[in-house]
Amino acid sequence: MAKGGGNRSRLLLVLLLVSSLFLITLDLRGINLASSIRSGVGTALSPVENLFSKIFSPIGSFTSDLRNLGKSNSKIADLTSEIDKLKAEKIIDEDTVGQLSQLKNILDLAGRGGYKIVAARVINRGSSATFKQTITIDVGSKNGITKNMTVISESGLVGVVKSTTNNTSVVLLMSDPTFKIGVRIAGTQSIGVVSGQGGNSYLLQLLDATGEIKVGDALVARGSQGGMPFVPGVPVGVVTTVQSNASSITQNADVVGISNLDNIGVVAVVVTSPNEGPRDSLIPKPKPTVTVYVTPTPTPSK
Amino acid sequence: MSWQRVVNTSLFLFLVFILQETAVARINFPFNGFSLYIATLMVLLSLEDRTGSLVFGFAGGMIIDLSPSASSPFGQWALVMTFIGYLFSVNRETIGDFVDRPVAFVIFVCLSSALAMLAFLIIGTLLGQANGGLMRNLSLILANSLWTFLFVPIFLPLIIRIRKMLLTNRERV
Repeated sequence: MAKGGGNRSRLLLVLLLVSSLFLITLDLRGINLASSIRSGVGTALSPVENLFSKIFSPIGSFTSDLRNLGKSNSKIADLTSEIDKLKAEKIIDEDTVGQLSQLKNILDLAGRGGYKIVAARVINRGSSATFKQTITIDVGSKNGITKNMTVISESGLVGVVKSTTNNTSVVLLMSDPTFKIGVRIAGTQSIGVVSGQGGNSYLLQLLDATGEIKVGDALVARGSQGGMPFVPGVPVGVVTTVQSNASSITQNADVVGISNLDNIGVVAVVVTSPNEGPRDSLIPKPKPTVTVYVTPTPTPSK
Repeated sequence: MSWQRVVNTSLFLFLVFILQETAVARINFPFNGFSLYIATLMVLLSLEDRTGSLVFGFAGGMIIDLSPSASSPFGQWALVMTFIGYLFSVNRETIGDFVDRPVAFVIFVCLSSALAMLAFLIIGTLLGQANGGLMRNLSLILANSLWTFLFVPIFLPLIIRIRKMLLTNRERV
């Protein structure tokens, strides 16, 4: 009997060890069993974590408080933390003013284009190790964001939503080398393709070989069917250099992006585009310059 | 051992795991942290018979593998805890009764939790994980053992009581 029980235990041990090794092998072979289960557990635990965070925050530092009992250091620490808090508040205030200004301009642009938007804050930038130029924004599927929606800033196109979670979305920036967008030259209506180059300069390839490009031409998104991934009429960039090459089949030009992608704090995701595109109405108008004519008057002779 | 007991004990372990992840992990213990979950699992394993040690070692390890902060392969803790469960099952007689030799029992629980963490590190190293410096890891294991030694006598009676509740009628007889 005892021998039988021993054999059973041994068999059970082997079975459990093999199961563990099988799970480890699956994980190491790239079958993402763990990440989905762990993220599920993380999502399930988050309300409990928030609750415990509120309850346990005084207890969390209890032991360190005990160690500092009776020391004047605690007072210094309190004052230092108060100064840090005030400094942080000042930075937050300045940041909020900047974000407010960007948001106001975005709303203005969206209003003129007739886009229905969801405003979002940029909360993270993609790691350079991924070799992708991305940003993470603080709105997700819970806010009605889906893959392939256009993302705009106060001046124009930023990128396209690449993936979403409940509360966040990853946006592929237009500067990414894999990014391509169909554009129209405002005015001449020639169409072409703008490709990302990794920085704030882009390459425009005109589809019409006889078309004409001039320095200073503004480019707007041609738009996609159903407004995804690109809504029509969003400003994309301005032509800076025309590459004149007689042997080339297509005409190329260097373009500078209309949005400064290094300096965006607030963006908007276009959730609905208007039935009729805004045409060229979103292109920033040049600021009027004041010309003063001065007519010299002869100096009166004495 | 009945399936009902396996499920009930696993649920109890899962509750302790939630408590560990959401509450105990937030406390800044001097020296280094304390794992209530590993200590509880070790106490449970030491009270079980041969099959129980193996099964609850595996189940308990799987539960730690669920931790959202873990970056180790899924199943690594299950492997470690099955191994620890096996060690308990083999050396069960040497542990003695917690009533007769409480200090020896607590020391055994501390040593086994340290061994579990060490085994996890060794297996992690074999699998090519970067787990930080040796001295830092050793100090973490030592601190965890120290806190286990101090806290286990406090909650041991509670775990024994809960375990009795989890036993089926037949097992109680």
